[in-house]
Amino acid sequence: MAFELLQCHLRILFLWLVAMALVLAAEGGVLFSSLEETMVVTADIQGQNWTDGPRIRTARVGDDHMLIKWALNSTLTGLGVDREYTTVKIRLCFAPISQVERGWRKTNNDLRKDKTCSIPITSQKYTTEGNFTDWTIRRNVPGASYFVRVYVSDVNGTQLAYGQTTDRLKTSNLIIIQPITGRHLSIDVASVVFSISSVGALLGFLIAEFRRMK
Amino acid sequence: MAPSTEMRADAEINGHQKAYEIGGAGGGFEMEATDLKGRKFSLPVDSEHKAKKLKLYSFAAPHMRTFHLSWISFCICFFSTFAAPPLMPVIRDNLNLSKGDIANAGIASVSGSIISRLLMGTICDLVGPRYGCAILIMVTAPAVFCMSIVNGPTGFILVRFFISFALATFVSCQFWMSSMFTSKIVGLANGLAAGWGNLGGGITQLIMPLVYDLIRTSFGADDYVAWRLAFFLPGVMHITMGLIVLILGQDLPDGNYRQLQKSGNKISDSFAKVLYCAVTNYRMYIFALTYGFCLGVELTVDNIIAEYFYDRFDVNLHTAGIIASTFGLMNLVARPLGGVSSDLIAMRFGMRGRLWILWTIQTLGGFFCIILGITNGLVPSIVVMLVFSFFVQAACGATFGVIPFISRRSLGVVSGATGAGGNVGSILTQLLFFSSSRFSTEAGIKLMGVMSVACTTVILFTYFPQWGGMLCPPTKATEEDYYASEWTRDEQAAGLHLASLKFAENAKGERGKSRLVASAAAPATNL
Repeated sequence: MAFELLQCHLRILFLWLVAMALVLAAEGGVLFSSLEETMVVTADIQGQNWTDGPRIRTARVGDDHMLIKWALNSTLTGLGVDREYTTVKIRLCFAPISQVERGWRKTNNDLRKDKTCSIPITSQKYTTEGNFTDWTIRRNVPGASYFVRVYVSDVNGTQLAYGQTTDRLKTSNLIIIQPITGRHLSIDVASVVFSISSVGALLGFLIAEFRRMK
Repeated sequence: MAPSTEMRADAEINGHQKAYEIGGAGGGFEMEATDLKGRKFSLPVDSEHKAKKLKLYSFAAPHMRTFHLSWISFCICFFSTFAAPPLMPVIRDNLNLSKGDIANAGIASVSGSIISRLLMGTICDLVGPRYGCAILIMVTAPAVFCMSIVNGPTGFILVRFFISFALATFVSCQFWMSSMFTSKIVGLANGLAAGWGNLGGGITQLIMPLVYDLIRTSFGADDYVAWRLAFFLPGVMHITMGLIVLILGQDLPDGNYRQLQKSGNKISDSFAKVLYCAVTNYRMYIFALTYGFCLGVELTVDNIIAEYFYDRFDVNLHTAGIIASTFGLMNLVARPLGGVSSDLIAMRFGMRGRLWILWTIQTLGGFFCIILGITNGLVPSIVVMLVFSFFVQAACGATFGVIPFISRRSLGVVSGATGAGGNVGSILTQLLFFSSSRFSTEAGIKLMGVMSVACTTVILFTYFPQWGGMLCPPTKATEEDYYASEWTRDEQAAGLHLASLKFAENAKGERGKSRLVASAAAPATNL
């Protein structure tokens, strides 16, 4: 009986291992280096003119909007390049300077493991004329240097092409976003009050006990 | 805990019994003594009114109430010291921390306690463990509240440093246990209290993300506001527990230090001599080093594991916290079991058995650490982590099965040094493996495991002349020789070493069954 039980356990283990192997094998994602840059993307900060302003712009969370426009590169229209383009995902991506010493924002060629563009902006249907979106910078966006990238994917969600607001080296046209601190006067006050009450309660208790002892 | 203790471990450790009782071998005479005020004790006590039994489901004053107050205070301090790691993905974005900053904060979070633990022993001696514990816990509360107002890496590191002072409640906890429980049961009481206190490191990984989520969703607070508000929870816990300890606690079974006149039964020793005696005992250094790779590794993992699961396996903050908490929660059983296994093996093989089991458990812990670093799937990682946590925490428990025997005169200093070694180990591992981007976190974990296995081998060098070492048999030296050698001729002439001799007599059980039987069969020799 014990032998049958062992056989049963071994079979279950074998099946589990096969399943894990399949799952892991299916994990491989699209490689970024295989994508073509067929899209043209621009990102403007409301009220800032980027053609004659500084090459690095700043935007404040909560105050500023970003107007992001994307379209297929005009030299590629009509060539059927966008035959399978279905969805356009617009994402905010960390510039290399903000990835230094921060492994959780690391660039990886395998798009499944890539953490460069971890902040989603929005998702739109692909149209040949292109589209735009007005994005109020979300309040949990950290302070860093960014650029905007769009990924175009087919009906299954597999990435086919991309476009970005910066060059290949990701050093030009960057946007510095100034975050909220998360601090409020009320939190500061509460913090001080609680701290004082902790020490005060302790001293009060000790003094009271000392007096009682006498 | 002498192995000759009959652990009426009614393996009725099955919870069906109303009270979980573990008794000392003091069979017959269980007196129901009264304290100085004439109130009856609810547990059997000895002549110093220290309890001889541990009733875990009781909160009766003074012994069991002290037990629960101690471990809960220690647990809360662990909770607040490791409250930041599970929220790190949010904090690192808010404060713009780099990997180096996070590692430095992690190192700071285990450094402060080195200083405070050294001071705490003296404070307990002077004003009693009740004041020591309460003062520490209430004075570190402002540091916890300051976490809500930090702006950048410097503030973050400083605050984590000051919060870590609270971990000295370990010393007040152990000190308090020693005042309340007899020497036969104090090892178990301390082991349970320490293990359950360490639980705080696991509970916090579970609770802090929950509180953060609650604040975010119920109050609609921004992420960067919610995590700051979440820190008010550990802060308030500090204040509450401090007051409870002051109101309900008492230093000794008969009352508080200030109320009692201490009867001069205890011979006070010279600190310099005690220190010298400890510093010249090489075994202290061995165990300070090896404790760095069980407690040290545990503290390091408490600091990095939630972030590891969040980043590597793309689970959300909540899930990463739950997974990370299981690491710390193993302390509920793992650490006490480590101590118990040390005692059990000592019954048969004595001190040599204790050393072997410590080396085995800790090496296995290091081995599973290596495996954790090379495991790629989420579920296998969790399983490996659980096995790893069990062995690492059991090693902590097993270490304290050996420590009481290293020195009798300098037990306090040796224990303190071992504890400090634990923290230093954590500082070292975080500095070497998790502070630069040279290694990924998984590579760091693997290397930490390798270093752990390597450093644990120094246990092989431990040798007690009267009991032997892992690879070498004992000589004809006796326990009395070993413990009396801590005192000079003059001190022995003055009779200062008598307590040590008494301990030596009780420690004969560390010879192991075969030698004990042989010595009983042989004719009695003069001491």
